[in-house]
Amino acid sequence: MKNKDINITGQIKEGFINTLRIWMREYQLIFSDVGVMVIIFVVPLIYPLLYSFIYYPEVVRDLPIAVVDLSYSTDSRQFTRDLDATPDLKVATNSISMAEAISMFKNREIRGIVQIPETFSKDIAMNRQTIISAYADMEFFLYYKALMTGVNFVALETGNQIQIKNLVNTGLTEQQAQITAEPVKLVDNSMANQAGGFASYGIPAALILIIQQTLIIAIGILAGTARERHVFGTLVTTNRRKMGTLRLVVGKGAAYFTIYAMLSIYILGMIPQWFGYGQSADLMELIVLISPFLLSSIFMGIALSVIFKNRESSMMLYLFISIPLLFLSGIIWPLSNFGYVWLVVREIFPSSNAIIGFIKMNSLGATIFETRREIMSLWIQTGVYFLAACLAYGYQVNFSAHLRSELLTHSFREIRKKIASRI
Amino acid sequence: MSSRGLYILVVLVFPILTILFFASLFREGVPTKMPIAIVDLDQTASSRKIARNIDITPLSTVTEYLQSETEAMSELRTGNIYGFVVIPKNLQADILASRQPEISYYYQNGYLIVGGLMQNDLTLILHTLSGGINIQKREAMGQQEDYIMAQVQPIQVSTHQLFNPTANYSVYISTIVLPIMLQLFILLMTVYSIGIEIKEKTSHEWLRFSNKSIFTAITGKLLPYTVIFFVVMMFQNFMLYKVMQIPMNTSLGWLMLGSLLFVVTYQAVGLFFIGLLPVMRHSLNLSAFYGILALTLCGFSFPIDAMPPVFQYWACAFPVRHYMHIFQSQILAGFELKYSMISYLYMLLFLLLPLTIINRLKSALIYQTFIEKVHNH
Repeated sequence: MKNKDINITGQIKEGFINTLRIWMREYQLIFSDVGVMVIIFVVPLIYPLLYSFIYYPEVVRDLPIAVVDLSYSTDSRQFTRDLDATPDLKVATNSISMAEAISMFKNREIRGIVQIPETFSKDIAMNRQTIISAYADMEFFLYYKALMTGVNFVALETGNQIQIKNLVNTGLTEQQAQITAEPVKLVDNSMANQAGGFASYGIPAALILIIQQTLIIAIGILAGTARERHVFGTLVTTNRRKMGTLRLVVGKGAAYFTIYAMLSIYILGMIPQWFGYGQSADLMELIVLISPFLLSSIFMGIALSVIFKNRESSMMLYLFISIPLLFLSGIIWPLSNFGYVWLVVREIFPSSNAIIGFIKMNSLGATIFETRREIMSLWIQTGVYFLAACLAYGYQVNFSAHLRSELLTHSFREIRKKIASRI
Repeated sequence: MSSRGLYILVVLVFPILTILFFASLFREGVPTKMPIAIVDLDQTASSRKIARNIDITPLSTVTEYLQSETEAMSELRTGNIYGFVVIPKNLQADILASRQPEISYYYQNGYLIVGGLMQNDLTLILHTLSGGINIQKREAMGQQEDYIMAQVQPIQVSTHQLFNPTANYSVYISTIVLPIMLQLFILLMTVYSIGIEIKEKTSHEWLRFSNKSIFTAITGKLLPYTVIFFVVMMFQNFMLYKVMQIPMNTSLGWLMLGSLLFVVTYQAVGLFFIGLLPVMRHSLNLSAFYGILALTLCGFSFPIDAMPPVFQYWACAFPVRHYMHIFQSQILAGFELKYSMISYLYMLLFLLLPLTIINRLKSALIYQTFIEKVHNH
């Protein structure tokens, strides 16, 4: 009985030491490979900065437009001045014909046209409704938005002033006139991204994607490299005696988890602070969300890595998916409009739930309970991919062990031939 | 070995899958029926009428009626709704007594399209409702309909969309994202197909086949990919302009020419990268960096004119940006050729890039000095 006890503790101890050895060896592999170092350290350090600087202006200001003023009156000149005064628009030219304006538009000198009708001033004087025409550039969503925001604002304000003036003329007080014009006060509350800044839309998603994609590609590169180094193109070396699958998966996972936990402090903590993206989540909340995200990405990377035959394979076969993943997350196209198939495909990748969870927590201030759906999904993915990683590696370990035993009875060439025919 | 699978995947299977993915994802063009909630604290005929009016717009659909603002806020944070409207207590009484009650609306602006649409939609509905109350009061005072409209809304804005009649997201997104995906495949494949000859030390054999002419060698190597990628791009055009019915205001000839130029330009960039850094892992990293950055620097998400100046120059170094100009000006809007000529010229300039590294590449192929040091145990 006592003997058995010692045996078990001995085994645990040995397993622990082996895991630690694999863990340290993985560090050694990572740090001695320039290509992998670039993917794991340079990319996550540079990309968030680069994106933040590119999107630094955040919103479109002073969009150049042409005003085609057919009225040429005091009222229309005031209207033009008001357009120019909005933060969204800048009147680049205002004394040209429609044909000239269109030609400027085609040359991209101006990005929108506002036409004030000939009867503008007369309509206002005679209490007739007047119509302003806005011609918007549909090439860019943000140009369209800027033009419409600016023109609608000025039209509404000017119209309001006219209405109130007319009401005061009929004998109402200023306040009565104001309430008649606006019987209900509307209060616009934009949540998560008050200013509507572009960086705040895109960058939180990009940060999460950078973590997942560099992890999976880096693990793939190292697996492909291992196959290139080993004599028979196996993922696990045939040189040593059989290594435990669990030890391999846990040891490798621990190496990546520690590195990426450190990187996450920079990517998800420091970057949002420096550039003023949402930071409503506290450290505890972020840890609860990001831990299963890192674990599921790592195990997915380990499970996927068995299919990469060469060093370049993961870059060639996996990189492209980064862009579709951005769309699959649901930050661009609303999830309520996703087809059933894409809702399922979306659940394959940890980034989908991590992106939504991260935006909810950090920009909207959602609690752990309100983010439970995303956190649960990430833990389920962690479990599934851990099993997948163990199965995939287990097969590789057994295959290498089998080859090792065959080496005793078969010749080198014979085995190579056999493997070639298998692949 | 298994590398044949890799070629087929990167050249055909993945590009076609991505085309189908984007075509399918944005099938509806404009989002509809986005879930919102109403918090009706008034519970009167007026407040119920407002709730009904909000529900009938196609963009949003009321999925929940909640008791308090706190509850609605939690639903918004959880992600079950994209926005909500709070109708205050005593709304009806306050309107009748001219006390100007407040209606607040909240929406999730953390997502670009959802935020913009929700804001427009809710603002428009509620403004219409508010205007409606004004109109009703004036009608009760016996004013004429024309007069009322001129008083309530003295200046009306009529919106025209210049040269692109569709306010459709697949026009915005798919038409640019698909070329961006394709350039990634072209870059990676070009670098790989040449890099593998250096890595596997087969470049001597390859050069010998081409009578030791680097030009023959490269042309022979890249031409099959030119043909395949061109066919893939024409399939992409077919999906965009025929299946998804995005307007195409140019001739098939110009479309084919533009597509061919796009493919060849990116092959030239890929060739430049492998010549610049003949160690494949480095040139693949460079291609990945450059290829992914195109999504940002082609200016389709955030306009280039609004970026800091240094990035505006940098953006010119991406052929897909010039292709996007050609698409918007010539294909979509149908402007005369002279307006997109400059973009064609820019793209042609990229074809000169490989000339700068051709000697370096040739010596890399001959001396194989850039082999990675892989330790064989």
